[in-house]
Amino acid sequence: MMPCTMLGAGRYHEGKPMGEKWTYWFGELGKEANDSVGKKCANLGELTKIGLRVPPGFAISVDGYRMFMKETGAGEEIKEYVRREFGDTKDVAQELEASRVIRGIIERKEMPSKMKEELIAHYKKLCEDCRLADLSVAVRSSGAVSMPGQMETYLNVKGAEEMVKKIIQVWGSAFTARAISFRFQQGLPIDWAPIGVAVLKMVNAKCAGVVLTVIPTTGDTSKIIIEGNWGLGESVVSGEVNPDSYIVDKETLDIERTVAEKTKMVVYSDKGTASVDIPEEKKRLSILVDEEVREIARICKQVEEHYGVPQDIEWVIDLDLPFPENLFFVQARPAKSVKKKGNDADYIIDLMTRLFK
Amino acid sequence: MKVYDVVPGLEFNEEYDLQQSPAWFLDATHSVPPWTPMFGWFWVNFCRHGMQYGAETLSLPTVKGWDWRFKDGGGYLCLLLVDSDKEKEERQKKFREAIRPFVDNYDGLWGGYVKEMLKRYDQVKALNLDTATNIQLLENFEEVVDTCRRMWEIHMHMMYGTYTPYVLFEQLCKQMLNIDDTHPTFQKMVSGFDNESFRVDRRLWEFSKKAREMGLQGLFMETPAKQIKAKLETSDKGKTFLKEFDQFLDKEAGWRMERMAEINVPTWQEDPTPGFETIKLYLKKGGDFDLDEDRKKAERERKQAEKEVLAKVTPEQKGWFSMLLKVAQNCSRFSEEHNHYLDLYTHALIRRSCMGLGKRWAKAGTINQPEDIFFLIPDEVRKAGINPDKFNLKPLVERRKKEWQEWAQRGNPPAIMKEGFTLDQAMGGLVQSMDPIALKVVVGSMPVVRTELKADLYGTCGSPGVAEGIARVISRDEDLPQIQKGDILVSASTSPAWTPVFSLINGVVVDRGASLSHAAIVGREYGIPVVMNVFEGTTKIKSGQKIRVDANMGAVYILGK
Repeated sequence: MMPCTMLGAGRYHEGKPMGEKWTYWFGELGKEANDSVGKKCANLGELTKIGLRVPPGFAISVDGYRMFMKETGAGEEIKEYVRREFGDTKDVAQELEASRVIRGIIERKEMPSKMKEELIAHYKKLCEDCRLADLSVAVRSSGAVSMPGQMETYLNVKGAEEMVKKIIQVWGSAFTARAISFRFQQGLPIDWAPIGVAVLKMVNAKCAGVVLTVIPTTGDTSKIIIEGNWGLGESVVSGEVNPDSYIVDKETLDIERTVAEKTKMVVYSDKGTASVDIPEEKKRLSILVDEEVREIARICKQVEEHYGVPQDIEWVIDLDLPFPENLFFVQARPAKSVKKKGNDADYIIDLMTRLFK
Repeated sequence: MKVYDVVPGLEFNEEYDLQQSPAWFLDATHSVPPWTPMFGWFWVNFCRHGMQYGAETLSLPTVKGWDWRFKDGGGYLCLLLVDSDKEKEERQKKFREAIRPFVDNYDGLWGGYVKEMLKRYDQVKALNLDTATNIQLLENFEEVVDTCRRMWEIHMHMMYGTYTPYVLFEQLCKQMLNIDDTHPTFQKMVSGFDNESFRVDRRLWEFSKKAREMGLQGLFMETPAKQIKAKLETSDKGKTFLKEFDQFLDKEAGWRMERMAEINVPTWQEDPTPGFETIKLYLKKGGDFDLDEDRKKAERERKQAEKEVLAKVTPEQKGWFSMLLKVAQNCSRFSEEHNHYLDLYTHALIRRSCMGLGKRWAKAGTINQPEDIFFLIPDEVRKAGINPDKFNLKPLVERRKKEWQEWAQRGNPPAIMKEGFTLDQAMGGLVQSMDPIALKVVVGSMPVVRTELKADLYGTCGSPGVAEGIARVISRDEDLPQIQKGDILVSASTSPAWTPVFSLINGVVVDRGASLSHAAIVGREYGIPVVMNVFEGTTKIKSGQKIRVDANMGAVYILGK
């Protein structure tokens, strides 16, 4: 498994001319920008392009990473460290140590002033657009190959300074021990791991979740399944809670609803996010009304048609805005590990085989 | 060699066989009362072969089929378990592929087998036994031997492959929904299907309506079933009716006998009395009785139960769960259809071939009467086949007949076990085998004795419901006509030929049975309570006593003591 996001590893090396464009508003991007800004940003751009509402924000391309590494000298330091300390064979302890050292090198660096200026300008523009001072943003990694849960994502980041710091930390997160191990095994450069970064407005989430435009267990593509919980989408993505689920027929938009007893939800806290108890009166309450379910389904169907393959989409409903302007989509990618049609039989055969153990 | 050897090589031998397996179980469903030598030879040889063939073809990971022995007319069985984990693993790999057609293409598989057997049957039936030469008769018999061997191969390949998903489905229902196959909702889910046995019953019901329309009702009601044929031949109306009925026997229903696992009773072809009995039963039910309504009700209830259960599984599970449900439902259909196309038909043709020989041999003086052939075995048929007039097998027949009568009087023990070995241990081994046929047809689950119910007998639920009625203890097919509307049938087990009385009775109590045995399946189709595995029903309950069955609790109460 690809542990994370090696954007064009070996392709974006030092020595490229400086001064080129390295930040983009989502509206400027499309899927062709994948190699430059990473899948997440390219997708958000693509979503914007096809008229889907995404939280306002911007992307930092791998050229931003390259510039940072060059101008701060972090790139050289890492190279030097790897040359010095990294031999031909590696064990886990060495990889962990390398991760600690390299991330330390990156995180101790200041953002070069020209870059910082540009980032702060973008942040200010965002605040203006949202008519909010000290806007809370999410800072997310965006690699050419997405691996949900592997790379760092910082939520609820407030203020330009904090945002800049988190961007540096996201770059550093390309050097987790696992990522280093993977690159070592693949014979890729250990010291070079360019990734894109997405900075977007935090949604004040009433509820959030995921959509699959195919039923994963059956491969039934005539239906969409929406899952969600109160609060942020993390609780659903991580599989911690038993979410509400809505199966929607793509043709008729008929809804098959299963309301779960939801106990915990993820919300913002001072330190980022926290898992809290759901108030008693909301535990057995459906998180979505039919109108919202159908709107999500309708839009996700469009996204699937646009990309041509079943999609795995993260959605969120904002607490403050009125419907339907409060419906945002934060991620769309091809649905993975979806059973092909006919695999029900394989599954049943599997179960039968296990019966005899 | 002893002259009494009935199944050479497979006679029960305490010394050797208890070393092989510490426990051997009597197949009470099929070999009580004891088999005739000829039929025992066919069953023990080929059912045994078929089970090992089926288990091996499917590469069942934990069991290699069953071993069988013949003892005093009883079939005794034990399981051939897979011992090493390594072998289990290897078998698992093959099993994965071998079971696939049962999930992917059940109808194609079963349909193909039915076609193959019907073709064989047509070939075997083509010979005119009265005009055939001795050599042709012997050839016909050998063909029948081979047909029976093939029938059991198909039978057990299908049965293992059909019941495995059923066992899985039940286990998942237990885990996911907390219901097992003695639960009413579960039982409703696997009933309400059309099948060949019901089609035959339906035709008999239509004949009962025809008899009423033609004004023959009085004749049917007043005449004992045995004489109905002769009586019908005395009038034009009767002749018209008979003509159509004979056609029905020839084309649809003639190749069956009252007792499924025996060949010493006439087929319907030879003696249509059982058919007339059934028509009488339907006439007794009255003109407003609607057989179709029963069936439609079962179908409606099944759909309702399916809906109920599917609502309880998560959306992600629904796809494969409903697929598995459909695969498991094949059990109900297969259970009745295989009786019709496999056991009954083949056994009827074994009888036909034997009777052809028997008549010839009785004429030649080899034996006294045609039926004596059932006290011989295939080796002896070969011995005298071409020149029957040169052999006198009468003394052999007489000795075997005498033995056979003694077997029936004595009765066979339900299990033969090594000293110090307990029934609990033996049952444990059966459960461990995961053998779907052992679990669901022959052995069944052991009743839980709930003393707080203060019942007289405890069993398991084969079909849900509660009913009261007069007990009618039936041990022989000839006693079936004693059954009155509203009675509760008490017997060792039931067989396909008994199906029609289920529309008349209020409930069933059987000594032995599991959730896929005949009484359970048919009880569910007719929506009457069935209590199974009470073991002592036929000895403790007397005909005429008023009894109450609470199948949901597995309890039987004798009210009129």
